[in-house]
Amino acid sequence: MRDAHAILLASHGTPGARAAEQAAFDQCAAGGRVHQLVVVPDFWKGMLGDDWLNNAAVHIRFGRYVESQLEREIVEHATQVEAEAKRRGLGYSCELRFGKPAECLAAVAAAGDYDVVVVGSPRPKGVPGYRSRLAIETLVKTLKAPLLVVPYPGR
Amino acid sequence: MVYTRKSPALLILGVILLVHGFLIGGGYLGGILKYLGIEKAAAEMTNLSYAFGGIAAIFGLWHWFGSHKEGRLDYYSSSVAGGTFILFLAMIVKWYLDPWVAVVSHAIGPVAGPRFYLHQVLGLNYIVLGIVLGMLIVNVFRIPDWAQNGVRLSRLGLKSGVILLGTLYSVTELAKLGQLSVVMIGVFVLGSMWLVLLIGARRKASNSMVGVLSAGVGVCGVSAAVAAAPVVKATSEEIAYTIGTVLVFGVICMFLFPIIGHTLGMNYTQFGAWAGTGILNSAQVAGASLAYQPTGNLETLKVGEIFNITRVLFLPIIVVWLAVWYVRRETAAGAKNVQMANTGQIIFEKFPVFVLGFILMFALTSTGIFTPKMIPFFRAWIVWLFAFGLTGLGMQITFAAMRQTGGEPLVIGSVVGIIKAVLSLIVVLLLVRESI
Repeated sequence: MRDAHAILLASHGTPGARAAEQAAFDQCAAGGRVHQLVVVPDFWKGMLGDDWLNNAAVHIRFGRYVESQLEREIVEHATQVEAEAKRRGLGYSCELRFGKPAECLAAVAAAGDYDVVVVGSPRPKGVPGYRSRLAIETLVKTLKAPLLVVPYPGR
Repeated sequence: MVYTRKSPALLILGVILLVHGFLIGGGYLGGILKYLGIEKAAAEMTNLSYAFGGIAAIFGLWHWFGSHKEGRLDYYSSSVAGGTFILFLAMIVKWYLDPWVAVVSHAIGPVAGPRFYLHQVLGLNYIVLGIVLGMLIVNVFRIPDWAQNGVRLSRLGLKSGVILLGTLYSVTELAKLGQLSVVMIGVFVLGSMWLVLLIGARRKASNSMVGVLSAGVGVCGVSAAVAAAPVVKATSEEIAYTIGTVLVFGVICMFLFPIIGHTLGMNYTQFGAWAGTGILNSAQVAGASLAYQPTGNLETLKVGEIFNITRVLFLPIIVVWLAVWYVRRETAAGAKNVQMANTGQIIFEKFPVFVLGFILMFALTSTGIFTPKMIPFFRAWIVWLFAFGLTGLGMQITFAAMRQTGGEPLVIGSVVGIIKAVLSLIVVLLLVRESI
């Protein structure tokens, strides 16, 4: 089934998201485009937690370091997704947002004209990774395009 | 970016405080004060309400009606709203919520022996309630936009509190506590770091993860993790795991330590020494110490903070050591071009300047420059600075960050954190007999 011309893909490189990428490419019609959304979860705002000892210089250095780490990881992943899109002859674009995953995805979906929104399944218990789940309920309440939730690999 | 929000909120807070000062000063709330048993605090309530209400009203007018341009004036002036918001909450907690909880607890009756009431056993006083309220606001509601930029002022409150605390020590006390803290912190900081590195190596965890975790668990919690992460090149996931773990452990300890302390009948010195050694996060040492002894001569805080300062002084040395350790480990593992962090810059950036303020205040007190009449005044200010700082601290602890705990850091951090807390408790109970 390759009938979607414009796909919004939420992916950040986890195994669940990788399965979503595959499904998105499989769904995309020839000459179609995939727009990838990467969300940096807003829990990072609380990561200075109760750090009261360090001065502003240390906070700035830490903030820049975390930003550069996230950027490196995101660019690395987006490059791979872009290469796969190119190999399949599909259009590709990527967008980065900071906030709650479901709210960001809903906002991006509303701003564009997509045939389908593709997301991965939540990580099974015991599998390491960020505890930043996509609130599916929030998403489906606002989405106007169909939503495809791809099963976690191995399920 | 313009930080000041055009909002009437600060002005409203100012007016509320001014009206509060008027009502208390005029004796209109006498019945409530009597019911809560805080008649003696009436003068303090009046003076503080007028002083900070006045400041808030003036800045509130400026925020609401003034024109604001990007710059330092805007940045610093905007923080007054957030600072007043924290102070307002701290006042509600200290003047009304804390006494009310005590009234309810007394009505329930003693729960542990003839003298201990529920709020004392659970450590429900203005410090704990302030932190809980702060956490509730940031996690259940949200910090209002107009107050966002001032929340960080709580750090200033805590640092000023430590500086002013310097006025409460005698030379003998400081010498005695200093020796004890250097020995205990030395053993437990280095011991817990060594244990993290050992377990990490056995479990084949990455050097970067073990490095950042050893700083967080061994030295002073989130502050150390933040300082160490760039030095050992921790990945974003390792940082999230470590900070989440340290935060969860710290919050649990802050509530649990006073309960255990009361149950075991620990004296102030013993509890301060235990909290100062066993609690991972240094800010929560102050929280637990004040939760254990919220009023009086603040002996627990005095002991806990000396231990805290000793830990803080260890931080630059540990971070430099981690930098060297990381480069050696990575190079030995075959990595090429592993760059060493600038150690001179690390020591310069991580040196806790506020400790110099503490030493200065201690030195001034030793010269006799402050009259004995001024000490209770300092003590009252210290209590307010910590109440302010810790309420604001609660506003920075998010469940979303705590939820990130997991992976190897959770396993290793929990094992080492529990061993550290239990061993330090045993050592304190066996070796620390004196009180200050």
